[in-house]
Amino acid sequence: MTFLENIGHLTVKLMKSFAETIYFAGKVLYRIFQPSTYNSATRTVLVDQIYFTSVQILPVFIATSVIFGSLLIGIVFQLLKDLGLTQFIGNVLMGLIVTELSPFFTVLLITLRSGSAINAEMAVMKVNREIKTLETFHIDVVNYLLVPRVINGIISLVLLSTLFSIVLMSSGILFSRIIFSMSIDVYSNILLNSANFSDIVIALVKCACFGFFITLIPIHFGLRASHELTSVPIVVSRGMVSVFTAILIIEVLSLITKLM
Amino acid sequence: MSREYKVGLFIICTTVIIFLALLYLAREKGFFTTVSTFTLSSKTGEGFTEGMPVVFSGFNIGKVHALELNDKGIVLIKIKIPQRHVKWIKADSSFVLYRPLIGAARIVVTTDNLGSPPMPENKIPEVAIINDINDAIEKVQPLLEKITQIAENLERLSRKVDTMAAKTDEQVFGKDGTLSNINKILKDVAGKLEKLNATVDNINKISKEASEGMKDFRTLRSDIDDAVKALDDVASKIDTILSKKKETEIKVP
Repeated sequence: MTFLENIGHLTVKLMKSFAETIYFAGKVLYRIFQPSTYNSATRTVLVDQIYFTSVQILPVFIATSVIFGSLLIGIVFQLLKDLGLTQFIGNVLMGLIVTELSPFFTVLLITLRSGSAINAEMAVMKVNREIKTLETFHIDVVNYLLVPRVINGIISLVLLSTLFSIVLMSSGILFSRIIFSMSIDVYSNILLNSANFSDIVIALVKCACFGFFITLIPIHFGLRASHELTSVPIVVSRGMVSVFTAILIIEVLSLITKLM
Repeated sequence: MSREYKVGLFIICTTVIIFLALLYLAREKGFFTTVSTFTLSSKTGEGFTEGMPVVFSGFNIGKVHALELNDKGIVLIKIKIPQRHVKWIKADSSFVLYRPLIGAARIVVTTDNLGSPPMPENKIPEVAIINDINDAIEKVQPLLEKITQIAENLERLSRKVDTMAAKTDEQVFGKDGTLSNINKILKDVAGKLEKLNATVDNINKISKEASEGMKDFRTLRSDIDDAVKALDDVASKIDTILSKKKETEIKVP
């Protein structure tokens, strides 16, 4: 096979995979908006998924947010003071840290913890023929397995990212007091003036997109596993690489939307 | 606490927080207040941007909503003012686009008479433009010319100083220059000083002798003092004898 053929083969493969993912996403999205999708089993799975992804992780997530967020805010504020850019404190806090960094940090955390778990779970279910069993019993796999996980991803990402933003802004109160001797009133006024409604909506939509894709792609790749155990690590690693690619694409798209 | 209860609590709490935050932001940003739209005009759209603040007495009272170009080539600036700030916009209000050297451009509203009637929405006042950047450039231009002139003068002066320095160099360090003359004079002075050395030696000798003579004078003086003292004693004795004797004549031995 020549070099050009190799490139062509790779491109076709990538495009095919991308098209399959988009088709799969459309299928799941359609089911999400179908009222018939939801039954007691779906609701139970959804509650379990939210519990495992958001509630169980909450203490660790808040602790990490406090430590990481406080340090980050402290460093950024000190840097702004050193560079004489104190007047841009609100813009940096709202435009960069709250609307960009919070979703990114949250999506990384959830992907590492839950995305990989979902990918492995789906692959193992496929290997153990559990998916086949469900189909045999006429249980809709999309409704029972996919939709609750995807909805969980959307809800968890949006809510946890907001929590992270709140922790960051609360740390900002402390550090603005220490570094700039700024009162809470002045701090909140600066934040309000810098807060852009459209930016916040874009950030929330971005979180929802992150949540959708970091659960959908691992499911999609997990279901690609063959009936051999050796296929599990292969589909998990491929799935995770695809998830990170999706995160980067969404991040770039959101930045372009903000710039427009 | 059941799993369902924890999940429900988490979702409700965080959703309420998000909702309240958005509601607060929307209220502060004036989403729920009614706004009045006024139209301003300008010959140029340069410096105007959508979202630009409209300021009255240093306070933001509204913002530029839209910019349009009409059929006559005049730029129409639509500003939106919340109902609570409409009272500052009067029929005789003036509007100035202020573009500071540092900071964001803004439309400054000035109302001299707050008792005048409110501005009708169909009135289109023209916006005056104050451009700090251009003003600064205009102010700096003559200053730059002067600086150039000073630089030219300095260069001319430096050339003159160079010529003068060359001449001075020749006059001072040349063959018949001041320095060689000074050297000659110094040599003469040195010769004369050598001759003076002998005279100084003689003076020293004389001074030594004079000081020795002075010692003799001191001895002589003490001798004279003793003699005078003895004569005083004799005189006093004579006085005593004379006062005791009746005869005034004394036989001197």
